[in-house]
Amino acid sequence: MLTKKVTRQELLIIAAARQIQNGDVTILGIGLPIIAGAVAKKTHAPEAVLMMESGICDFEPRILPMHVADASATRGYGYAIDLFSVFTTITHAGYLDKAFLGVGQIDRFGNINTSYLGTPPDAQRITAAGGAPEFYAYAKQSILTMKGGEFVEKLPYLTSPGFLGGGDEREASGRYTPGSGPAVLLTPKGIFKFDKETKEMYLDTLFPGSTVERVKADIPWDLKVADQLGVFPVPTDEEIIALREFSPRSSFSSPVAVQLVFENFKRRIAAQKAAGRAN
Amino acid sequence: MSDKGGSKIMTTREAVSRFVKDGDSLITGNYNESMPISLIYEIIRQRKKGMTYYSQSGSFDAEFLVYGGCVEKMVSAFLYKWGGKGRGGIIEQYQRKGQLLIEDYSNFTYNARLAAGAYGYSYMPVLPAIMDSDVFKYSSFMGDKKFGTTTCPFTGKTIPVVPAANPDVCMLHVQRADQFGNAQHWGGLGSTVHACLASRTILVTCEEIVEPDVIRSSPHHTIVPGFRVSAVIEEPFGCHPFELVGYRGLDTAMFSLMNQAFKADGGLTAFFDEWIYNLPDRNAYIKHYIEVFGQEMLNRYNARSYYSAPANYGIPFQSGWDVDGISNDLGVDMEGLEKLIEEKGDVIDVN
Repeated sequence: MLTKKVTRQELLIIAAARQIQNGDVTILGIGLPIIAGAVAKKTHAPEAVLMMESGICDFEPRILPMHVADASATRGYGYAIDLFSVFTTITHAGYLDKAFLGVGQIDRFGNINTSYLGTPPDAQRITAAGGAPEFYAYAKQSILTMKGGEFVEKLPYLTSPGFLGGGDEREASGRYTPGSGPAVLLTPKGIFKFDKETKEMYLDTLFPGSTVERVKADIPWDLKVADQLGVFPVPTDEEIIALREFSPRSSFSSPVAVQLVFENFKRRIAAQKAAGRAN
Repeated sequence: MSDKGGSKIMTTREAVSRFVKDGDSLITGNYNESMPISLIYEIIRQRKKGMTYYSQSGSFDAEFLVYGGCVEKMVSAFLYKWGGKGRGGIIEQYQRKGQLLIEDYSNFTYNARLAAGAYGYSYMPVLPAIMDSDVFKYSSFMGDKKFGTTTCPFTGKTIPVVPAANPDVCMLHVQRADQFGNAQHWGGLGSTVHACLASRTILVTCEEIVEPDVIRSSPHHTIVPGFRVSAVIEEPFGCHPFELVGYRGLDTAMFSLMNQAFKADGGLTAFFDEWIYNLPDRNAYIKHYIEVFGQEMLNRYNARSYYSAPANYGIPFQSGWDVDGISNDLGVDMEGLEKLIEEKGDVIDVN
């Protein structure tokens, strides 16, 4: 049941959280994925095995981490290994059920760019590859999230291969975990999936306030749309509370959150100085 | 390293001036937790030049080393964009102007280069999907030596490989170490161990220098052995504003201030003067922090303890002789042993 007011950012996080099933061995990155993981673990997936690639396995999200080795994730965790082991003994060996990956640019077959908005070295940087190419290649399934990124006809730089040219190209190459690849792409406007045969992306579900036309306006190719659009996940109070208990700042868009945090510290310092003078 | 054995305790300034040279390649182990910021600020203060920085997940550590004029080349897998989308990071600006060369890897392929370096191999196989990525296709200063391919002699498959990396200097900050350099860290490990063991010289700052017996009763926390370490520095807050498991959290107040410095015109130059050049060492840095933010703010980030369950390393006998001085194997005391030797031993004349 939902009685609380919900923001657009919160709706996206809950949609992502619902992608994690109980028991899934899941790799999480910073930002939206980790918040989704925290909500899932607190609600419908208490036995999900959450991991971060610095070697923090089976942890309990308590506080929004700022990076993937954040100390807040190591207060009580089940398995302490290093990055090399995460990629080899867990990911490549076939034990990673789900990977959450952030997207800078994406094409119609789910190939991802997180490196350069052009040809290096002259182009604007995004953040670069990080763990994405290998997680995307060897996790059984990948959940993609894109906030502020873009759909492009042709990527200027392909960081992490998705379905390559579509069809069975990924499968036939023999370079990937069989059956792996993007299961879903979540954006603030809706949920996208990939055709089983052609591997081309299509619109599956619209978020409230969005229309097929508005979604299509962002996409440089003729986007296919599901014959019957899905129903977006309406958050429950339980999920919204879990989200806000974990990361109150994440109910807001990033620039608003950054500003609110900065103002809070200014107030704290001022109050402390005033108290100091009073003494 | 000239001398073997003995105490390696020194100051940060001494360690950097003795062991870090212009033109060296430099590496920090972890992601951001326990990043050796005190050592990095000292390198900037000593105005080291022409360095190559190996940075798996760069944050302001990388931005500052570049802005401070220390680094001309980077080997990198990820860079947090300080300065945001609009202005872009320092690294991005320098790279686009051609003042900085960057070789981009993924986290795994970056780490595989260090693993090869640590194990003494000349190269390391990596996972085949990277061959479909532009990370494999584009290169910078490494040219065609960034990746290679080989054929598996058993399956006949083509395998991508990366060359070993052996940086000159690895720097790390840890919870505790002894005077010999046995360094203990707990928390997210990232590629720290491979970064250390691949490097020729290792510099360790720690929150506390402890007695060797503390190390010997908890060897599972030792991530680098003393015989590989060149300098040990007791440097509380050595990774501030980054966090250290068991000591303090990431200082978001300082991060917020740095965020503003990256965004304002001239903000970074002013920040460098105030927080790096005008402060001689970490003590002065923390004093200045308290002046600016207050002691209360610093205390807010103190960790509340959550202790690891002790591991019992006990054994039944402390030597070949039990508590009564009787040999566990032979059932005699030392005198008895001598008698036994006379009776049954193959005694030889050595006089």
